Parts: sequence; C-alpha cells; structure tokens
Amino acid sequence: MLRVTGFAVAATGLLAASVAHANQNQLELQQNPEYWATQLGNYQGNRFSELDQINRDNVNELRSVWQFSTGVLRGHEGGPLYVGDGRLYIHTPFPNKVFALDLEDEGRVVWSYEPDQDSRVIPVMCCDTVNRGLAYADGRLFLGQADNTLIALDAESGDLLWDVSNGDHTVGETNTMSPLVVHDKVIVGISGGEYGIRGHMTAYDVESGEMVWRGYSTGPDDEVLIDPDTTLMLGEPIGEADLGVSTWPEGEWERGGGAPWGWVTYDPDLDLIYYGTGNPGTWNPDQRAIDGEPADNKWAITVFARDPNNGEVKWVYQKVPFDEWDYDGVNENQLIDIEFEGEERKGLAIIDRTGFGMLLDRETGELLVAEKFAPETNWADSYDMETGRPNVSDEYSTFRQGVNVNTTDICPTAMGAKNMQPSAYSPRTGLIYAGINRICMNYEPYETEYVAGQPYVGATLTMMPAPTQNGEMEGRMGSFIAWDPVAGETVWEVDERFAVWSGALATAGDLAFYGTLEGHVKAVDIENGEELWRFKTPSGIIGNVNTFMHEGKQYVGVLSGVGGWAGIGLAAGLEDPEEGLGAVGVFSALGDYTKLGGVLTVFALPD
Amino acid sequence: MTVCVRFRAIPVFALALLGFVTTHAAADDENRMTGEGPGAFIVEDGKVDPNTYEGYLVYTRACMACHGPDGMGSSFAPNLIRVVERRGWENFAGTIAAGREVQPGQVMPSFADDPYVMGNIPNLYSYMRARGEGGLGRGRPRIIESMQEQDEEKDEAAEEASAED
Ligand code: HEC
Repeated sequence: MLRVTGFAVAATGLLAASVAHANQNQLELQQNPEYWATQLGNYQGNRFSELDQINRDNVNELRSVWQFSTGVLRGHEGGPLYVGDGRLYIHTPFPNKVFALDLEDEGRVVWSYEPDQDSRVIPVMCCDTVNRGLAYADGRLFLGQADNTLIALDAESGDLLWDVSNGDHTVGETNTMSPLVVHDKVIVGISGGEYGIRGHMTAYDVESGEMVWRGYSTGPDDEVLIDPDTTLMLGEPIGEADLGVSTWPEGEWERGGGAPWGWVTYDPDLDLIYYGTGNPGTWNPDQRAIDGEPADNKWAITVFARDPNNGEVKWVYQKVPFDEWDYDGVNENQLIDIEFEGEERKGLAIIDRTGFGMLLDRETGELLVAEKFAPETNWADSYDMETGRPNVSDEYSTFRQGVNVNTTDICPTAMGAKNMQPSAYSPRTGLIYAGINRICMNYEPYETEYVAGQPYVGATLTMMPAPTQNGEMEGRMGSFIAWDPVAGETVWEVDERFAVWSGALATAGDLAFYGTLEGHVKAVDIENGEELWRFKTPSGIIGNVNTFMHEGKQYVGVLSGVGGWAGIGLAAGLEDPEEGLGAVGVFSALGDYTKLGGVLTVFALPD
Repeated sequence: MTVCVRFRAIPVFALALLGFVTTHAAADDENRMTGEGPGAFIVEDGKVDPNTYEGYLVYTRACMACHGPDGMGSSFAPNLIRVVERRGWENFAGTIAAGREVQPGQVMPSFADDPYVMGNIPNLYSYMRARGEGGLGRGRPRIIESMQEQDEEKDEAAEEASAED
C-alpha cells in the first residue's frame, strides 16, 4: 500500500499530500536551520547552514565550550546530530557505541548504547573500522553497525527497537555508511569491494525493520531493478538487457563489488535517491576483461538514480567503465539548482574520486560538465561529452601496461583526489567547498584468486605526493578548494600539509569550515579561503564539521580521532618522489603529528 | 626510518630462545645483503629472493590494511620492521597465530584458521628482515633475475606434481 502511495507521488508530483511518514519529519527538521538532522545537513547533501550568529567578523572569538572523549581509539568519521531536544547524538567506530549527550550540561551522558558485535568483523574492514554516523526520524535513531546489523534505537531512551541483518561479514561484507531515511524507509548500502562482494542498496521499513526492496549493483536487470526500456543512460533508454552480466567475463559479476558505501542524497520533488557504486571486484583489470579487451563491468563506479519506494532505477551513469585504478565512484552527489547555458537545470554535482568535478542533469542523468579539480590528474585527459566516457591515457592505463608491470606516477591515487569526506555547497555563492587529496601512485596488478572472506585485491600500489605545480604544493599533500561546478574551475585553493579528509561546512556567516589530519578545525573566509580561526583538537580530523542552534546560541561540533584510509596510508609518510634529489623530509609522516583518540569538541561564541 | 643499521646480530635472549639456530645478516659485498636462519633473505641491488618477494605479496594481502604500506605502521597498528628487529621469530610467528589485543580496539587478529598466511609466516618474516637488516626499500620489490627462473621451475614442478595427484 505504501508502495502505491509512493508511486502516485512520483507520477503526479503531489508531494505534500502524500508523505506523512518519516520523510515528513526529517524534511521538517532539516528545513529548520537550527537543526542538523541528517549527516549531510539536508537531503540534497549541501552541508550548508543558514545560521550566521558565528560569522566572518566574530569567528576569531569562537572557543570550545566542552569536549567529550568517546573512549574509542580508531578513526572517527561522521558527526553529531542535533534535532532540537537539547542533546547531541554521536556514534563511534567499531564497537559502534552511540551516545546521547546533554548539550547544556557539558556533554553529560544521557544514555549510551553499545552493540554486541563479533570482533572478527574488524580484520575484514579494508580501511579502518570507521562509521559515518547516525540517521534520525520520528524519534528514532538508525545505525548501520560494522557487522551489517541495521538497528533502530528509541532516541528518548536509547532502547533497541529492532535490528536486522543486511549482510554477512564472514564473506567480507561490512558496513561503514550512514543510512538515510526517506518516507517510511531506511536505506543502506554495504562495504566490501576489496573482498569480492556483490554490492547492493537496500530499503527497510522504519517501523518493523522488514526489507522492502534490494537493488544490486551488478548482475541481471531484475536484480539491479533496471528496465532497459525505461531506465535511462545519458538521457536515452539503455536498450540492451542485462548489461550487469554481459559486461563481465563469465560469472565475475557475482564478485563484482560495486559496493555503495558512500552517501545517499534525495530529491523530494523528483522523489529520487542518488548514490554511487564502488570499484568493480578485483583491482587487477586483466581479470575483468573479455577476450583481452576492456569490458565495462557495469554497474560498478556508477551513479544510480532510484525510486526510493520500490528501488526501480530511473537512470544510470557509469563514471569509469572498466576501472584500472580503484576509483570507487561512491562520492556524494550534491543536488544543486543551477543555471547552465542560460537554462535553469536541476543539477547533480560530484567532486569525484577520479580528480574530475562533474555536473549532471539529475532528472535524466545527462553529463553536462567534467573538468579536473585536481590539476595533476592524468589517468584521463578529459571526458567525451557525447559518450560520457573518459579519454583514458594509455601511459597510465594499468591494463595496457599489463599484469605484473608497475605503472608509475598515476594521478590521483586509489584513495582518490577526494575520498568519502563530504563537500559543502553554498547556494549564496554557487560554489562547492571540498577537502581534497593531492597524492599519486604506482600500481601493479597481479593475478589473484577469489576466496570467500579473503581480500580479493590483485594489485600492489605505492603512493607519493603529487608533483609540485609550478613551485606550489611544496611539501603539501592536500587542499581545501572552492569549486565552481558550472564553469568547472577552482575559484580558490588553500594547500595543507596532509590530505584534507574531513567533511566541509558552508554557512550564511560567510564562512567555510573544515578539519585537518593534524587535528585543526579551521574557519576560512568563504570568499577567498583566508584563514580566520583555528583550534587544535587532540587528534586528526576525518569527521565532519556540523553546526546548529540551541536556545539562541549557535554551536559548531566536530568529531576528531585520526584513522580511515588516511591513517593507514599516511601514518608513516609517503615515498618522497624527490628523495633521491636531496629534498629529504619535505613530506611529513602523519604519525609525527597526531595519535589516536575519539573526541567530540563543541564550540560557541562567548556569552 | 631506522634502516641505517645495515649489519645486526639478533639479541642474545632471542638466540637462547631459538636454541641452536643462529641468525644474522651479512653484507656479502656492497650490493648484497643476506640473512640466515628463520626468515632468511637475500637483497641484491634492491632485488630479492623469491621467498622474500612472496612475503611482500602476502604482506600486502593480509597485513597492509592494518600495518600500513611497506611494514611501516599505521595510525593503529605497529611498524613491523621494528617489531621483528626487537622481538624475533618466535614472538612474530606466535602473535600471527594467536592474535593479540592489549588495548581495546587495537585488535591483532589470529590467523590460525588462515592456511595461506600460516604457510607464509617464514616468508613474511623474510620480507620484514629484508626491509630492516637488509636495507630493502619501499614498494614492490623485483626478484633477482638468476633466482626468477629457479622460482618458475619450482612453480612448474609444483604444478606438475599437483596435476599428477
Ligand atoms: C585488523 C588489523 C590487523 C591485521 C590485518 C594484521 N594486524 Fe598485526 N597487529 C594489529 C594491531 C592493532 C597490533 C597491535 C596489537 C596490540 O599491541 O594490542 C598488531 C600487532 C602485531 C604484531 C605484534 C607486534 C608486537 O609489538 O609484538 C605482529 C608480529 C603482527 N601484528 C603481525 C602481523 C602480520 C604478519 C599480519 C599479516 C599476516 C598482521 N599482523 C595483520 C593489527 C592487525
């Protein structure tokens, strides 16, 4: 019955009349600028706040009002939620504790919850035991545990309302993502692209936890929930059936990855959810080729637009067919309304893993813009705007170079020019603000065998800082940029010692915020990136900076606690490309700057 | 990185533990470092023997996600090159089999049920020693050419043997 309701909405566009479910509550909360009710601030993924009590003129007075140690050591991603009840809701990496903290009482613990999980899940998490946070709607909190258990908690008491298993960690399936509540469904993906899993996005009923639909990333159309006659690709129906099978060598789609572990965004008017899928199975492209030729490996590294009511795919756009670099396509799809070539368009902007900033039409999936935001990007020269395919450079094609050949100096690294750290978008400036990585790699594929529950990687890689750009970037491995998604160009850039792995925040106070891997929270002038304020938290920041207002006071909150892939790859420092040339020590080891430890820091202006 | 110590004998207490086995690295000439005993290795002009190479591959598959690239440690797991220098073979092999959790969240899993890792502990040890005592650099090493063929012959022989089973 609910399904039917949803359908009618999509068909008639009578949104307000229909969705009297969780969606309505979440929508109302996120439309109130005082709240931060969903990890990305709003359904569109904009991470923008209308609050301006803290602004360009007074931010230098911002100070920490209290700190709270989570007692958990490893990488803390995600951030606090505030839904107007005077509490902050936070979570931790494995063991995935949840805390309700009294905002007024210096973070006193109102309740806490700790799931009981099999610790054998820890070694099958590729890139630290991170978790990107809670979702909230109608008095319930939702958490995807590392071991794939999706739970609903009563936000008032912390009591467990229901739990359901979304996957099996003994075959390498895990969860790191934050679920999203749309209508009466809670939607969650899965991780495990390095373990030969088969990715999927699944919707559960918010009341009961019962599965409503599941759409796979690979395999036959009826399991991906594609209709080749109606599902669009670059604005036209796909036409051909079962590309999720035929674009793989025999049976390889069954371990074809495409894990959607990033953020899901949602357009309430079009009633569509958007997310991207991860890398296709093994990192050795040779094992994914057909008759020695590249095969698309659909639908890995693909943006999906699905109907949240039944999972049906409205359109697909594959950003990287036949991946040769582990360029997971999971980065957030920011929904922004823009003017493009004189026309109002419903846009979808991506600061992609690949180093390309993309703009799509979110109604049809047509590609409008694809330009490099990380100038060192060299695996592809450009995108062919007709076919939507990258023009891959043979020199950096790990497939053309071959198995057991070390393809060198590929930019960006497998970590991506941007990883999961969510960007912000200010409708006032029309710009996207993002922390990015300036790191390159050598990549050497090798033959690997699939064993359930074991890594299915098949490539070794080494990383090094990106080459300096005309003397810029000396000793730097990251930047914070302002990106014009329509013009496809960087407006300003601030370079940082390490990759910027924290989520950004843009505010109506003419500020942009981000965190650094050394542990600084920084506020910069949104017009030019000039640093206006910084605070050193106890550990590196891979969480997101969130803001909210309680009883007339604006707060900023951030989780620090170094880790994630950044904590694994950068702890001991990268290979210095200049080392032989006498420039030893320009590039630092993260381990010399920061150590583990999860802390929530809450800031406000003095009374 | 402390790879400046090119020649190092294993501490006496470890020798005692290992009983009769003696293990040490020797600089045979300027371009060649070898180590004997458990985790024997050869590093020659930055290239290695096949077992050490295998150790590198096993490391990237089973250990790197926690211990970081090239054995150098991550935000939460220790640098294994130093661990091997300090603690020796029995401790290394024992920890891999049994796992360890001193601080909560810092879990070193047990690999006792993983025949691939268990069968490769000596090779892992060779790789770590080569990185430390042997002065082997970062990244994926090459196999010493003259040993490459031996290795392939060995593989073929093994394949034939298993085909006959
Ligand atoms: C899931 C993450 C993880 C994986 C995978 C992992 N380790 Fe560990 N390892 C750790 C952590 C964390 C510690 C520190 C444990 C402690 O001190 O409590 C550790 C400790 C060790 C130690 C003991 C260090 C000492 O101080 O004596 C050795 C030896 C070791 N690991 C070897 C390996 C090898 C070899 C592999 C691959 C076969 C491996 N580990 C895979 C996380 C991991």
